[in-house]
Amino acid sequence: MAQAQSAIDLDGNPVNPLAQASGRIVILIFLREDCPVSNRYAPVIQQISSRYQQDAIFFLVYPDKDESAQRIRKHLADYGYTLPAVRDPQHVLVKLAHAEITPEAAVFNRDHQLIYYGRIDNWYVEFGKPRPAPTTHELIDAIEAGIARKLPAQSSIKGVGCYIADLQ
Amino acid sequence: MLTLGAFALGALFAHGSPPQNAEKEVHQKAQITFNRDIARIIFTSCSTCHRPGEAAPFSLLNYNDVKKHAHQIAEVTRTRNMPPWLPEPQHVKFADEMRLSESQIDLIQKWVNQGATEGNPADLPPPPKFTEGWRLGTPDLILNAEKPLVLPPEGADTYWNFIFRVPINETRWVKAVEIRPGDKRYVHHANILVDREGTSRSREARPGAGFGGMEIRIESQVFDPDSHLLFWKPGTVPYIEPEGMELRLDKGADLILNTHLQPSGKPEIIQPSVGLYFASHPATRQLMLLQLENDSKLDIPAGKKNFVVTDDFTLPVDVDLLAIYPHAHYLGKDLQAFATLPGGKKKTLIHIPRWNLNWQAVYRYADPVMLPKGATVSLRYVYDNSDENPLNPNHPPARVRAGNRSSDEMCHLWLQVLPVNFDPAQGDPRMLLQEALSRHNIEKNPADFDAHYNLAAMLQARGKLDNAAKEYQIALHLRPGDAIANNSMGSLLLAQGQADQAVPYLEAALKARPDYFDAHYNLGNAFAAQENFAAASQQFFLAVQAHPADANAEANLGSALAEQGKFVEAKLHFERALQIDPANILARENLAELQRKMK
Repeated sequence: MAQAQSAIDLDGNPVNPLAQASGRIVILIFLREDCPVSNRYAPVIQQISSRYQQDAIFFLVYPDKDESAQRIRKHLADYGYTLPAVRDPQHVLVKLAHAEITPEAAVFNRDHQLIYYGRIDNWYVEFGKPRPAPTTHELIDAIEAGIARKLPAQSSIKGVGCYIADLQ
Repeated sequence: MLTLGAFALGALFAHGSPPQNAEKEVHQKAQITFNRDIARIIFTSCSTCHRPGEAAPFSLLNYNDVKKHAHQIAEVTRTRNMPPWLPEPQHVKFADEMRLSESQIDLIQKWVNQGATEGNPADLPPPPKFTEGWRLGTPDLILNAEKPLVLPPEGADTYWNFIFRVPINETRWVKAVEIRPGDKRYVHHANILVDREGTSRSREARPGAGFGGMEIRIESQVFDPDSHLLFWKPGTVPYIEPEGMELRLDKGADLILNTHLQPSGKPEIIQPSVGLYFASHPATRQLMLLQLENDSKLDIPAGKKNFVVTDDFTLPVDVDLLAIYPHAHYLGKDLQAFATLPGGKKKTLIHIPRWNLNWQAVYRYADPVMLPKGATVSLRYVYDNSDENPLNPNHPPARVRAGNRSSDEMCHLWLQVLPVNFDPAQGDPRMLLQEALSRHNIEKNPADFDAHYNLAAMLQARGKLDNAAKEYQIALHLRPGDAIANNSMGSLLLAQGQADQAVPYLEAALKARPDYFDAHYNLGNAFAAQENFAAASQQFFLAVQAHPADANAEANLGSALAEQGKFVEAKLHFERALQIDPANILARENLAELQRKMK
């Protein structure tokens, strides 16, 4: 019987983040180890996840097939991440979330429908050009909308950062 | 059937092109491969930073590396974000231009669109070779930052200054400097300022701790204009000064490394070091840094999209322009500098249409640009203080004026010049440049303290003491408590034989700075001229405390004591003076006379 495509946890077992969090908002954050933009976001991502931990569950998604579990574990430790991480070498979650860039986020409401995908905020104008501070916060807006059982004003805005490798 | 026919016709049409275009057509249709077409671009323009230990976050050294980032590479080269090179192409060429041609960019786009294939291994050029460690070999002197800076994981860009004490016992001539900023991934750029008198140390909370600040000003008492732009940004290769143009470093000088750091998402340790390479002989050619600026015009209303500032300076001597360094902060948009030659012809010296402070750099010319006496150098900077400027530090936009903080603005243009075609018998051409620049600055801003002070110093050096005194007076009117200006005025009056008038100025200098050697020394001489030898010896004593290794101070102390009949003490100080400097005439002659008296 053909193996269904799936994301895998750091121990190598198939995992489906959406199956894990019934009734809660699910957020996927797509990262690359070597992306200076998504790395700069590490404290921000941690903070947002702590703020909404009652209602939302975050997963860090590493779509690069060459990023091993060992390297990912080191990356999590270096950047102070305490969130669950999954590998997505078959780009199952990437396709589900329409992800192209790191960092990008995907927000699924309590019924696990995709209500937002794209950038976390508008901190970066373009590659190499960060604002002093972000002035819009699309990820937070989407989470708040999901909690309130509404749709966010923005359904999607493309992120600025590093392209995910081997995108189809 | 019709459709098929149309396709066939289409294909025929393409192959039926005229002969001279055939090669081009074939090339365009041929598969672009990494090995044959792309590798050489990457090796030349990317690998130097995109390799382990360098500034970039990932390597680009082989096909796998490049394939992994193919889409990214296509985008950042298309937008000219990479390689980072701000100036537009121009007639006057820069050295080491890090810029891809349109056809190179096009080739990269096509390669990625075609699937980014590897190609024939036989086509691959040899990989680039890089020197590991210090680029120019082991330095003659390695300076390490005393205390590292811990850069926090998040927050605004940080500007931090490290002080390097230079352990040399005599004047040395530096022919090259390698700046190693620490972790190159987090230091955006760095530059070195020479603090000839160690005045920046007072800014450290504890010795060796370093201090914050985006822009620093170094005080200097003597005509010793800065001469070199010592700069580092990713990709910088240490520059060996041409023969004769070495940088002078005296005993007691500090090097201040001013760094621009950007948080990375995790804490980082920043511990820079600097390597110095010495020449065995002194420099023979005197370089000078000239600064065009117009900070006083920087009063940019909130929301103003195109705020223009200019400055124009006419050269009083012939110079060769060697390097240029434009500087503005986050509101700078379009920066331009040009020269207008006598006769009216214009030469663009640099044009940066999309200024990005993060990529500021010193640009060296491929060949020196000759600018004759009478040529006018101009800057024209445009600032954007609107909401449309995403780098605007204020949200919503606010009124912005000149200042040192990143939320302030600046309008500076540094030029490294070498005066040429001058007669040494006519004096130091740099003084003419300094004088002209000071006069220009006074025209722009009559309340420019530094300009009045510098003009006074130049006039004094030319022997125009009355005019110099007038300028010192204006400077003191602007800053009555300034130690240096008070000392200089006192010293000038003393030189004119007016000890009585000199004393209050020298006392004011000491009130502002109690351990000011020069002022103690000058005041000692003033009291001696008034024949108040008790007061004179007190001043010379304080001078010796401030600078224990100054033979003249010891000798003068001896003289003042001798005048009071304190022969034994006087002899002690004459002997000390001769210990410091056996050739000190004052001490030798006075000691001899004293010994005669004491017989």
